[in-house]
Amino acid sequence: MTAIVDTVPHVPLTKRWANVLRIHVANPWPTLVTPWLIFTAIFGLNYAIWRIVLMAAGTGGVQPGAFQDNGGATWILFYMVVVAVQSMNQTFRFAIGFSSTRRDYFLGTATLFVGLSAFYAIGITLLAGAERVTGGWGVEGGFFAPAFVANLPLVQVAYVYFATLLFMFFLGAAVGSVFVRWGANGILVFIGSLAVVLVATVWFVTKAGDWGTVGSFFADTSVPTILTWSLPVTSVAAFVGYALMRRATPRA
Amino acid sequence: MTVNVVEARGLTKRFGSVEAVTDVSFSVAEHGICGLLGRNGSGKTTLMHLLTGQEFASSGRSTLFGESPVENAAVLGRTCFIKETQTYPDGFRAKHVLRAASWVFPHWDAELADQLVVEFDVPLGRRVKRMSRGQRSAVGVVVGIASRAELTIFDEPYAGLDAVARHIFYDRLLQDYGIHPRTILMSTHLIDEVADILDRVLVIDDGRLMIDADADELRGSATTLAGRHSAVQGFAEGREVLTWDSLGGLATVTLTGLTEAEKSAAQAAGLDVVPVSLQQLIVGRTRGAAREEIAS
Repeated sequence: MTAIVDTVPHVPLTKRWANVLRIHVANPWPTLVTPWLIFTAIFGLNYAIWRIVLMAAGTGGVQPGAFQDNGGATWILFYMVVVAVQSMNQTFRFAIGFSSTRRDYFLGTATLFVGLSAFYAIGITLLAGAERVTGGWGVEGGFFAPAFVANLPLVQVAYVYFATLLFMFFLGAAVGSVFVRWGANGILVFIGSLAVVLVATVWFVTKAGDWGTVGSFFADTSVPTILTWSLPVTSVAAFVGYALMRRATPRA
Repeated sequence: MTVNVVEARGLTKRFGSVEAVTDVSFSVAEHGICGLLGRNGSGKTTLMHLLTGQEFASSGRSTLFGESPVENAAVLGRTCFIKETQTYPDGFRAKHVLRAASWVFPHWDAELADQLVVEFDVPLGRRVKRMSRGQRSAVGVVVGIASRAELTIFDEPYAGLDAVARHIFYDRLLQDYGIHPRTILMSTHLIDEVADILDRVLVIDDGRLMIDADADELRGSATTLAGRHSAVQGFAEGREVLTWDSLGGLATVTLTGLTEAEKSAAQAAGLDVVPVSLQQLIVGRTRGAAREEIAS
Protein backbone atom coordinates (compact mmCIF):
# COMPACT_ATOMS: atom_id res chain seq x y z
CA MET A 1 0.00 0.00 0.00
CA THR A 2 1.10 3.55 -0.56
CA ALA A 3 1.74 5.92 2.27
CA ILE A 4 -1.33 8.03 1.57
CA VAL A 5 -3.60 5.20 2.56
CA ASP A 6 -2.50 5.53 6.17
CA THR A 7 -2.89 9.30 6.40
CA VAL A 8 -6.50 9.36 5.29
CA PRO A 9 -8.91 10.38 7.99
CA HIS A 10 -11.56 7.72 8.03
CA VAL A 11 -14.98 9.31 7.91
CA PRO A 12 -17.36 7.20 9.98
CA LEU A 13 -20.85 6.37 8.76
CA THR A 14 -22.56 8.54 11.34
CA LYS A 15 -20.57 11.59 10.24
CA ARG A 16 -21.42 10.91 6.60
CA TRP A 17 -25.12 10.72 7.44
CA ALA A 18 -24.84 13.85 9.51
CA ASN A 19 -23.16 15.59 6.57
CA VAL A 20 -26.08 14.77 4.27
CA LEU A 21 -28.45 15.94 6.96
CA ARG A 22 -26.56 19.19 7.37
CA ILE A 23 -26.47 19.76 3.62
CA HIS A 24 -30.27 19.59 3.66
CA VAL A 25 -30.49 22.27 6.34
CA ALA A 26 -27.44 24.31 5.30
CA ASN A 27 -30.10 26.70 4.11
CA PRO A 28 -32.60 26.18 6.96
CA TRP A 29 -35.40 28.34 5.55
CA PRO A 30 -37.49 25.91 3.48
CA THR A 31 -37.39 23.05 6.00
CA LEU A 32 -37.17 24.66 9.42
CA VAL A 33 -38.25 28.28 9.26
CA THR A 34 -40.68 29.01 6.41
CA PRO A 35 -43.32 26.45 7.57
CA TRP A 36 -43.73 28.30 10.88
CA LEU A 37 -44.13 31.60 9.06
CA ILE A 38 -46.82 30.05 6.87
CA PHE A 39 -48.48 28.61 9.99
CA THR A 40 -48.48 32.06 11.56
CA ALA A 41 -50.05 33.61 8.47
CA ILE A 42 -52.74 30.94 7.99
CA PHE A 43 -53.58 30.85 11.70
CA GLY A 44 -53.70 34.64 11.86
CA LEU A 45 -56.14 34.79 8.95
CA ASN A 46 -58.27 31.99 10.46
CA TYR A 47 -58.41 33.75 13.78
CA ALA A 48 -59.43 36.99 12.09
CA ILE A 49 -62.21 35.16 10.23
CA TRP A 50 -63.47 33.60 13.48
CA ARG A 51 -63.58 37.08 14.98
CA ILE A 52 -65.41 38.46 11.96
CA VAL A 53 -68.00 35.67 12.15
CA LEU A 54 -68.49 36.32 15.88
CA MET A 55 -68.87 40.02 15.27
CA ALA A 56 -71.46 39.48 12.56
CA ALA A 57 -73.40 36.77 14.41
CA GLY A 58 -73.24 38.41 17.81
CA THR A 59 -72.83 36.53 21.09
CA GLY A 60 -74.82 33.28 21.09
CA GLY A 61 -75.35 33.49 17.35
CA VAL A 62 -72.78 30.77 16.66
CA GLN A 63 -73.47 27.09 17.31
CA PRO A 64 -71.16 25.40 19.84
CA GLY A 65 -68.22 23.74 18.06
CA ALA A 66 -68.76 25.73 14.87
CA PHE A 67 -65.06 26.58 14.74
CA GLN A 68 -63.91 23.01 15.32
CA ASP A 69 -63.88 21.66 11.75
CA ASN A 70 -60.91 23.39 10.30
CA GLY A 71 -58.45 22.12 7.68
CA GLY A 72 -56.05 25.04 8.02
CA ALA A 73 -53.21 22.89 9.33
CA THR A 74 -53.32 20.29 6.55
CA TRP A 75 -51.27 22.44 4.16
CA ILE A 76 -48.13 21.29 6.02
CA LEU A 77 -48.68 17.75 4.72
CA PHE A 78 -48.64 18.82 1.09
CA TYR A 79 -45.83 21.28 1.68
CA MET A 80 -43.69 18.45 3.02
CA VAL A 81 -44.42 16.25 0.00
CA VAL A 82 -43.01 19.05 -2.12
CA VAL A 83 -40.01 19.43 0.23
CA ALA A 84 -39.34 15.69 -0.14
CA VAL A 85 -39.64 15.67 -3.94
CA GLN A 86 -37.39 18.71 -4.25
CA SER A 87 -34.79 17.29 -1.88
CA MET A 88 -34.62 14.12 -3.91
CA ASN A 89 -34.13 16.08 -7.07
CA GLN A 90 -31.85 18.95 -6.08
CA THR A 91 -30.02 17.86 -2.97
CA PHE A 92 -29.30 14.46 -4.48
CA ARG A 93 -27.46 15.99 -7.44
CA PHE A 94 -25.58 18.28 -5.12
CA ALA A 95 -24.63 15.66 -2.53
CA ILE A 96 -23.51 13.13 -5.15
CA GLY A 97 -21.43 15.89 -6.75
CA PHE A 98 -19.89 16.48 -3.33
CA SER A 99 -18.59 12.93 -2.95
CA SER A 100 -21.55 11.35 -1.13
CA THR A 101 -22.66 7.82 -1.93
CA ARG A 102 -26.28 7.17 -2.86
CA ARG A 103 -26.65 5.02 0.23
CA ASP A 104 -25.35 7.68 2.61
CA TYR A 105 -27.48 10.24 0.83
CA PHE A 106 -30.67 8.22 1.21
CA LEU A 107 -30.04 7.23 4.81
CA GLY A 108 -29.14 10.81 5.78
CA THR A 109 -32.21 12.09 4.01
CA ALA A 110 -34.46 9.48 5.63
CA THR A 111 -33.05 10.54 9.01
CA LEU A 112 -33.92 14.14 8.16
CA PHE A 113 -37.47 13.15 7.21
CA VAL A 114 -38.01 11.26 10.44
CA GLY A 115 -36.52 14.19 12.35
CA LEU A 116 -38.68 16.76 10.59
CA SER A 117 -41.79 14.61 11.16
CA ALA A 118 -41.01 14.57 14.89
CA PHE A 119 -40.12 18.27 14.93
CA TYR A 120 -43.41 19.35 13.35
CA ALA A 121 -45.51 16.75 15.18
CA ILE A 122 -44.20 18.00 18.52
CA GLY A 123 -44.40 21.66 17.54
CA ILE A 124 -47.97 21.41 16.30
CA THR A 125 -48.98 19.36 19.35
CA LEU A 126 -47.57 22.01 21.68
CA LEU A 127 -49.68 24.58 19.87
CA ALA A 128 -52.67 22.21 20.11
CA GLY A 129 -52.03 22.09 23.87
CA ALA A 130 -52.05 25.88 23.99
CA GLU A 131 -55.24 25.82 21.95
CA ARG A 132 -56.93 23.61 24.55
CA VAL A 133 -55.64 25.58 27.53
CA THR A 134 -56.93 28.87 26.07
CA GLY A 135 -60.36 27.45 25.30
CA GLY A 136 -59.70 27.37 21.56
CA TRP A 137 -57.93 30.76 21.54
CA GLY A 138 -60.90 32.21 23.42
CA VAL A 139 -63.32 31.46 20.60
CA GLU A 140 -63.63 27.67 20.85
CA GLY A 141 -61.61 27.41 17.67
CA GLY A 142 -59.88 24.23 16.57
CA PHE A 143 -56.90 24.91 14.33
CA PHE A 144 -53.97 22.73 15.47
CA ALA A 145 -56.16 19.88 16.72
CA PRO A 146 -59.43 20.24 14.82
CA ALA A 147 -62.23 17.86 13.81
CA PHE A 148 -61.49 14.20 14.39
CA VAL A 149 -58.38 14.80 16.50
CA ALA A 150 -60.10 17.45 18.64
CA ASN A 151 -60.93 15.00 21.42
CA LEU A 152 -57.81 12.83 21.33
CA PRO A 153 -55.23 13.00 24.12
CA LEU A 154 -52.27 15.16 23.07
CA VAL A 155 -49.92 12.18 22.84
CA GLN A 156 -52.22 10.69 20.23
CA VAL A 157 -52.47 14.02 18.42
CA ALA A 158 -48.67 14.03 18.17
CA TYR A 159 -48.70 10.46 16.92
CA VAL A 160 -51.31 11.24 14.24
CA TYR A 161 -49.24 14.15 12.95
CA PHE A 162 -46.02 12.17 13.13
CA ALA A 163 -47.34 9.16 11.20
CA THR A 164 -49.07 11.33 8.59
CA LEU A 165 -45.99 13.50 8.03
CA LEU A 166 -43.81 10.42 7.80
CA PHE A 167 -46.14 8.99 5.16
CA MET A 168 -46.08 12.25 3.18
CA PHE A 169 -42.28 12.52 3.33
CA PHE A 170 -41.64 9.01 2.07
CA LEU A 171 -44.37 9.26 -0.53
CA GLY A 172 -42.57 12.40 -1.73
CA ALA A 173 -39.23 10.56 -1.56
CA ALA A 174 -40.57 7.71 -3.72
CA VAL A 175 -42.07 10.10 -6.27
CA GLY A 176 -38.86 12.16 -6.26
CA SER A 177 -36.80 9.02 -6.87
CA VAL A 178 -38.97 8.10 -9.83
CA PHE A 179 -38.31 11.57 -11.22
CA VAL A 180 -34.55 11.36 -10.66
CA ARG A 181 -34.40 7.96 -12.35
CA TRP A 182 -36.77 8.41 -15.27
CA GLY A 183 -37.64 12.11 -15.48
CA ALA A 184 -41.06 13.50 -16.31
CA ASN A 185 -42.03 10.40 -18.30
CA GLY A 186 -41.39 8.28 -15.23
CA ILE A 187 -43.76 10.47 -13.22
CA LEU A 188 -46.48 10.13 -15.87
CA VAL A 189 -46.20 6.34 -15.91
CA PHE A 190 -46.12 6.31 -12.09
CA ILE A 191 -49.25 8.42 -11.70
CA GLY A 192 -50.98 6.45 -14.45
CA SER A 193 -50.18 3.16 -12.72
CA LEU A 194 -51.33 4.53 -9.38
CA ALA A 195 -54.67 5.57 -10.92
CA VAL A 196 -55.12 2.09 -12.42
CA VAL A 197 -54.42 0.47 -9.04
CA LEU A 198 -56.89 2.76 -7.26
CA VAL A 199 -59.67 2.24 -9.79
CA ALA A 200 -59.05 -1.51 -9.78
CA THR A 201 -59.34 -1.53 -5.97
CA VAL A 202 -62.64 0.37 -6.11
CA TRP A 203 -63.80 -2.05 -8.84
CA PHE A 204 -63.10 -5.14 -6.78
CA VAL A 205 -64.50 -3.75 -3.52
CA THR A 206 -67.68 -2.74 -5.34
CA LYS A 207 -67.93 -6.11 -7.12
CA ALA A 208 -67.55 -7.93 -3.82
CA GLY A 209 -70.19 -5.61 -2.29
CA ASP A 210 -67.78 -4.88 0.56
CA TRP A 211 -68.16 -1.13 0.97
CA GLY A 212 -69.98 -1.78 4.24
CA THR A 213 -66.92 -3.49 5.66
CA VAL A 214 -64.65 -0.71 4.46
CA GLY A 215 -66.97 1.91 5.91
CA SER A 216 -67.27 0.25 9.27
CA PHE A 217 -63.49 -0.20 9.44
CA PHE A 218 -63.01 3.55 9.22
CA ALA A 219 -65.98 4.24 11.49
CA ASP A 220 -64.99 1.74 14.19
CA THR A 221 -61.24 2.14 14.13
CA SER A 222 -59.65 4.99 16.04
CA VAL A 223 -57.68 7.59 14.10
CA PRO A 224 -54.32 6.57 15.62
CA THR A 225 -54.98 2.94 14.72
CA ILE A 226 -55.83 3.85 11.14
CA LEU A 227 -52.56 5.76 10.96
CA THR A 228 -50.67 2.78 12.34
CA TRP A 229 -51.85 1.03 9.17
CA SER A 230 -50.02 3.72 7.17
CA LEU A 231 -46.67 2.67 8.63
CA PRO A 232 -46.26 -0.44 6.44
CA VAL A 233 -47.21 1.64 3.41
CA THR A 234 -44.68 4.29 4.44
CA SER A 235 -42.03 1.57 4.77
CA VAL A 236 -42.78 0.29 1.27
CA ALA A 237 -42.51 3.84 -0.12
CA ALA A 238 -39.18 4.28 1.69
CA PHE A 239 -37.87 1.00 0.32
CA VAL A 240 -38.98 1.84 -3.23
CA GLY A 241 -37.29 5.23 -2.97
CA TYR A 242 -34.08 3.63 -1.74
CA ALA A 243 -34.08 0.93 -4.40
CA LEU A 244 -34.56 3.51 -7.16
CA MET A 245 -31.92 5.87 -5.77
CA ARG A 246 -29.28 3.17 -5.68
CA ARG A 247 -29.04 3.27 -9.48
CA ALA A 248 -29.80 6.95 -10.02
CA THR A 249 -27.31 9.28 -11.68
CA PRO A 250 -26.99 13.03 -11.20
CA ARG A 251 -27.46 13.79 -14.90
CA ALA A 252 -28.49 17.36 -15.49
CA MET B 1 3.56 -1.78 -3.73
CA THR B 2 2.04 1.40 -5.07
CA VAL B 3 -1.57 1.63 -6.09
CA ASN B 4 -2.56 3.81 -9.00
CA VAL B 5 -4.84 6.59 -7.86
CA VAL B 6 -6.95 6.24 -10.98
CA GLU B 7 -7.17 3.19 -13.16
CA ALA B 8 -9.50 2.44 -16.06
CA ARG B 9 -9.66 -0.79 -18.01
CA GLY B 10 -11.80 -1.06 -21.12
CA LEU B 11 -14.20 1.54 -19.76
CA THR B 12 -17.23 1.91 -22.04
CA LYS B 13 -20.46 3.87 -21.64
CA ARG B 14 -23.43 3.71 -23.95
CA PHE B 15 -26.50 5.93 -23.75
CA GLY B 16 -29.04 4.09 -25.86
CA SER B 17 -27.39 3.70 -29.25
CA VAL B 18 -24.77 6.40 -28.62
CA GLU B 19 -21.40 5.30 -27.34
CA ALA B 20 -20.05 8.22 -25.30
CA VAL B 21 -16.92 6.46 -24.03
CA THR B 22 -15.35 3.54 -25.87
CA ASP B 23 -12.88 1.08 -24.42
CA VAL B 24 -10.79 3.58 -22.46
CA SER B 25 -7.81 2.25 -20.50
CA PHE B 26 -5.25 4.29 -18.62
CA SER B 27 -3.83 4.77 -15.18
CA VAL B 28 -2.74 7.77 -13.16
CA ALA B 29 -0.11 7.35 -10.46
CA GLU B 30 0.00 9.29 -7.22
CA HIS B 31 0.82 13.02 -7.43
CA GLY B 32 0.99 15.01 -10.61
CA ILE B 33 -1.25 17.05 -12.81
CA CYS B 34 -2.83 15.15 -15.63
CA GLY B 35 -4.72 16.88 -18.42
CA LEU B 36 -7.69 15.24 -20.05
CA LEU B 37 -7.92 17.04 -23.34
CA GLY B 38 -10.40 16.80 -26.13
CA ARG B 39 -13.00 18.64 -28.08
CA ASN B 40 -16.45 19.46 -26.74
CA GLY B 41 -18.62 16.36 -26.73
CA SER B 42 -15.64 14.03 -26.98
CA GLY B 43 -16.63 12.16 -23.81
CA LYS B 44 -14.51 13.90 -21.17
CA THR B 45 -17.37 14.64 -18.79
CA THR B 46 -18.88 11.17 -19.12
CA LEU B 47 -15.49 9.61 -18.47
CA MET B 48 -15.08 11.67 -15.30
CA HIS B 49 -18.57 10.72 -14.13
CA LEU B 50 -17.65 7.07 -14.66
CA LEU B 51 -14.37 7.44 -12.76
CA THR B 52 -16.18 8.92 -9.75
CA GLY B 53 -19.00 6.36 -9.77
CA GLN B 54 -21.63 8.96 -10.61
CA GLU B 55 -22.41 7.10 -13.82
CA PHE B 56 -22.44 3.33 -14.21
CA ALA B 57 -20.18 1.82 -16.86
CA SER B 58 -21.77 -0.27 -19.62
CA SER B 59 -18.67 -2.43 -19.63
CA GLY B 60 -15.10 -2.35 -18.40
CA ARG B 61 -14.07 -1.21 -14.94
CA SER B 62 -12.30 1.55 -13.12
CA THR B 63 -10.84 2.05 -9.69
CA LEU B 64 -9.87 4.94 -7.44
CA PHE B 65 -7.11 4.17 -4.94
CA GLY B 66 -7.43 0.53 -6.01
CA GLU B 67 -11.13 0.19 -5.25
CA SER B 68 -14.31 0.51 -7.26
CA PRO B 69 -15.69 4.03 -6.83
CA VAL B 70 -19.32 2.98 -7.07
CA GLU B 71 -21.03 3.59 -3.72
CA ASN B 72 -17.62 3.52 -2.05
CA ALA B 73 -17.61 6.16 0.68
CA ALA B 74 -13.98 5.48 1.59
CA VAL B 75 -12.54 6.40 -1.81
CA LEU B 76 -15.10 9.07 -2.67
CA GLY B 77 -14.25 10.82 0.59
CA ARG B 78 -10.71 11.23 -0.71
CA THR B 79 -11.91 12.62 -4.02
CA CYS B 80 -13.19 16.04 -4.99
CA PHE B 81 -14.86 16.32 -8.38
CA ILE B 82 -15.56 19.86 -9.57
CA LYS B 83 -17.64 20.03 -12.70
CA GLU B 84 -19.13 22.77 -14.77
CA THR B 85 -22.48 20.97 -14.75
CA GLN B 86 -22.73 20.83 -10.94
CA THR B 87 -26.17 21.93 -9.76
CA TYR B 88 -27.02 23.43 -6.38
CA PRO B 89 -30.23 23.26 -4.35
CA ASP B 90 -32.59 26.24 -4.76
CA GLY B 91 -31.76 28.93 -2.29
CA PHE B 92 -28.17 27.79 -1.83
CA ARG B 93 -25.80 30.73 -1.58
CA ALA B 94 -22.05 30.54 -2.07
CA LYS B 95 -21.57 30.49 1.72
CA HIS B 96 -23.80 27.39 1.96
CA VAL B 97 -21.71 25.65 -0.70
CA LEU B 98 -18.49 26.41 1.17
CA ARG B 99 -20.03 25.34 4.47
CA ALA B 100 -21.09 22.03 2.92
CA ALA B 101 -17.61 21.58 1.46
CA SER B 102 -16.04 22.12 4.88
CA TRP B 103 -18.09 19.22 6.27
CA VAL B 104 -17.58 16.86 3.37
CA PHE B 105 -13.86 17.18 2.59
CA PRO B 106 -11.65 15.95 5.42
CA HIS B 107 -8.63 18.08 4.40
CA TRP B 108 -10.64 21.30 3.93
CA ASP B 109 -8.64 24.46 4.65
CA ALA B 110 -11.05 27.23 5.65
CA GLU B 111 -8.37 29.90 5.72
CA LEU B 112 -7.30 29.10 2.19
CA ALA B 113 -10.93 29.11 1.10
CA ASP B 114 -11.44 32.59 2.60
CA GLN B 115 -8.36 33.85 0.82
CA LEU B 116 -9.47 32.38 -2.51
CA VAL B 117 -12.95 33.86 -2.08
CA VAL B 118 -11.34 37.30 -1.95
CA GLU B 119 -9.04 36.62 -4.89
CA PHE B 120 -11.81 35.29 -7.12
CA ASP B 121 -14.27 37.89 -5.86
CA VAL B 122 -16.90 35.27 -4.99
CA PRO B 123 -20.16 36.90 -3.83
CA LEU B 124 -20.72 34.80 -0.68
CA GLY B 125 -24.26 35.97 -0.04
CA ARG B 126 -25.56 35.56 -3.58
CA ARG B 127 -27.74 32.63 -4.58
CA VAL B 128 -25.78 30.30 -6.82
CA LYS B 129 -28.73 30.19 -9.25
CA ARG B 130 -28.47 33.93 -9.76
CA MET B 131 -24.72 33.93 -10.33
CA SER B 132 -23.02 34.46 -13.64
CA ARG B 133 -21.30 31.48 -15.19
CA GLY B 134 -17.93 32.84 -14.16
CA GLN B 135 -18.98 33.35 -10.54
CA ARG B 136 -20.34 29.82 -10.40
CA SER B 137 -17.05 28.52 -11.79
CA ALA B 138 -15.19 30.55 -9.18
CA VAL B 139 -17.19 28.82 -6.41
CA GLY B 140 -16.20 25.44 -7.88
CA VAL B 141 -12.56 26.45 -8.18
CA VAL B 142 -12.43 27.60 -4.54
CA VAL B 143 -13.92 24.28 -3.40
CA GLY B 144 -11.56 22.31 -5.67
CA ILE B 145 -8.40 23.95 -4.36
CA ALA B 146 -9.36 24.39 -0.69
CA SER B 147 -10.66 20.81 -0.36
CA ARG B 148 -7.09 19.54 -0.80
CA ALA B 149 -8.54 16.16 -1.73
CA GLU B 150 -5.94 13.53 -2.52
CA LEU B 151 -7.58 13.18 -5.90
CA THR B 152 -9.02 16.37 -7.35
CA ILE B 153 -10.86 16.19 -10.63
CA PHE B 154 -11.71 19.37 -12.50
CA ASP B 155 -14.07 19.26 -15.43
CA GLU B 156 -13.74 22.50 -17.43
CA PRO B 157 -13.35 24.42 -14.18
CA TYR B 158 -12.92 27.89 -15.66
CA ALA B 159 -16.03 28.21 -17.87
CA GLY B 160 -16.94 31.88 -17.96
CA LEU B 161 -13.83 32.97 -16.04
CA ASP B 162 -11.87 35.72 -17.73
CA ALA B 163 -8.18 35.39 -18.59
CA VAL B 164 -7.05 37.11 -15.39
CA ALA B 165 -9.15 34.84 -13.17
CA ARG B 166 -7.98 31.77 -15.08
CA HIS B 167 -4.38 32.71 -14.42
CA ILE B 168 -5.09 33.23 -10.74
CA PHE B 169 -6.60 29.73 -10.83
CA TYR B 170 -3.49 28.18 -12.40
CA ASP B 171 -1.18 30.10 -10.03
CA ARG B 172 -3.07 29.20 -6.88
CA LEU B 173 -3.51 25.59 -7.93
CA LEU B 174 0.21 25.21 -8.59
CA GLN B 175 1.15 27.07 -5.43
CA ASP B 176 -1.02 24.89 -3.21
CA TYR B 177 -0.02 21.80 -5.14
CA GLY B 178 3.60 22.64 -4.34
CA ILE B 179 2.89 22.64 -0.59
CA HIS B 180 0.30 19.85 -0.59
CA PRO B 181 1.02 17.51 -3.49
CA ARG B 182 -1.97 15.59 -4.72
CA THR B 183 -3.26 13.96 -7.85
CA ILE B 184 -5.07 16.28 -10.17
CA LEU B 185 -6.99 15.29 -13.26
CA MET B 186 -8.23 18.26 -15.25
CA SER B 187 -10.26 18.35 -18.40
CA THR B 188 -9.99 21.38 -20.60
CA HIS B 189 -10.03 22.53 -24.16
CA LEU B 190 -7.85 25.56 -23.51
CA ILE B 191 -4.83 23.41 -24.17
CA ASP B 192 -2.22 26.15 -24.66
CA GLU B 193 -3.11 27.76 -21.33
CA VAL B 194 -2.63 24.66 -19.25
CA ALA B 195 0.13 23.06 -21.32
CA ASP B 196 2.87 24.30 -19.01
CA ILE B 197 1.40 22.94 -15.81
CA LEU B 198 0.65 19.44 -17.05
CA ASP B 199 2.82 16.42 -16.33
CA ARG B 200 0.68 13.97 -18.22
CA VAL B 201 -1.61 14.31 -21.17
CA LEU B 202 -4.59 12.17 -22.06
CA VAL B 203 -6.35 13.06 -25.26
CA ILE B 204 -9.81 11.74 -25.88
CA ASP B 205 -11.53 12.04 -29.23
CA ASP B 206 -14.94 10.70 -30.09
CA GLY B 207 -15.00 8.66 -26.87
CA ARG B 208 -11.66 6.96 -27.52
CA LEU B 209 -8.34 7.57 -25.84
CA MET B 210 -6.04 8.83 -28.62
CA ILE B 211 -2.94 9.92 -26.72
CA ASP B 212 -1.63 8.88 -23.32
CA ALA B 213 1.78 10.41 -22.88
CA ASP B 214 4.17 12.28 -20.68
CA ALA B 215 3.69 15.99 -21.38
CA ASP B 216 7.41 16.70 -21.89
CA GLU B 217 7.82 13.83 -24.30
CA LEU B 218 4.75 14.93 -26.17
CA ARG B 219 5.96 18.52 -26.39
CA GLY B 220 9.25 17.41 -27.91
CA SER B 221 7.69 14.81 -30.13
CA ALA B 222 6.67 16.96 -33.04
CA THR B 223 8.43 19.62 -35.06
CA THR B 224 7.31 21.96 -37.75
CA LEU B 225 9.62 22.41 -40.72
CA ALA B 226 9.11 25.26 -43.16
CA GLY B 227 11.01 26.05 -46.32
CA ARG B 228 11.46 25.03 -49.92
CA HIS B 229 9.04 22.37 -51.02
CA SER B 230 11.66 19.90 -52.18
CA ALA B 231 13.79 20.17 -49.04
CA VAL B 232 10.76 19.76 -46.80
CA GLN B 233 9.62 16.73 -48.75
CA GLY B 234 13.01 15.11 -48.28
CA PHE B 235 12.64 15.25 -44.51
CA ALA B 236 9.01 14.23 -44.54
CA GLU B 237 9.49 11.02 -46.44
CA GLY B 238 8.86 7.90 -44.38
CA ARG B 239 7.67 9.80 -41.31
CA GLU B 240 4.36 10.39 -39.62
CA VAL B 241 3.09 13.65 -41.07
CA LEU B 242 0.55 15.46 -38.89
CA THR B 243 -0.07 18.47 -41.07
CA TRP B 244 1.06 19.48 -44.54
CA ASP B 245 0.49 22.86 -46.11
CA SER B 246 2.08 24.12 -49.25
CA LEU B 247 1.94 27.44 -51.01
CA GLY B 248 3.78 27.90 -54.27
CA GLY B 249 7.28 26.57 -53.88
CA LEU B 250 7.11 26.68 -50.07
CA ALA B 251 5.83 24.02 -47.70
CA THR B 252 5.15 23.70 -43.98
CA VAL B 253 5.01 20.27 -42.46
CA THR B 254 4.57 18.94 -38.94
CA LEU B 255 6.44 15.71 -38.27
CA THR B 256 6.91 13.42 -35.34
CA GLY B 257 10.02 11.61 -34.25
CA LEU B 258 12.80 13.93 -35.42
CA THR B 259 16.05 13.45 -33.51
CA GLU B 260 18.18 16.42 -32.43
CA ALA B 261 20.70 15.56 -35.15
CA GLU B 262 18.00 15.55 -37.78
CA LYS B 263 16.72 18.90 -36.54
CA SER B 264 20.23 20.35 -36.91
CA ALA B 265 20.45 18.86 -40.38
CA ALA B 266 17.15 20.47 -41.31
CA GLN B 267 18.40 23.80 -40.03
CA ALA B 268 21.60 23.40 -42.01
CA ALA B 269 19.49 22.72 -45.09
CA GLY B 270 17.94 26.17 -44.67
CA LEU B 271 14.63 25.10 -43.18
CA ASP B 272 12.88 26.82 -40.29
CA VAL B 273 12.66 24.37 -37.39
CA VAL B 274 9.95 25.20 -34.86
CA PRO B 275 8.84 23.08 -31.90
CA VAL B 276 5.13 22.37 -31.98
CA SER B 277 2.89 23.47 -29.15
CA LEU B 278 0.80 20.90 -27.37
CA GLN B 279 -2.33 22.46 -28.80
CA GLN B 280 -1.13 22.31 -32.39
CA LEU B 281 0.00 18.75 -31.89
CA ILE B 282 -3.32 17.64 -30.46
CA VAL B 283 -5.34 19.49 -33.07
CA GLY B 284 -3.20 17.79 -35.72
CA ARG B 285 -3.61 14.36 -34.20
CA THR B 286 -7.34 14.54 -33.57
CA ARG B 287 -8.00 16.03 -37.00
CA GLY B 288 -5.92 13.26 -38.50
CA ALA B 289 -8.06 10.67 -36.78
CA ALA B 290 -11.19 12.22 -38.15
CA ARG B 291 -9.72 12.15 -41.65
CA GLU B 292 -8.74 8.51 -41.40
CA GLU B 293 -12.23 7.56 -40.28
CA ILE B 294 -13.81 9.40 -43.19
CA ALA B 295 -11.36 7.72 -45.57
CA SER B 296 -12.10 4.26 -44.23
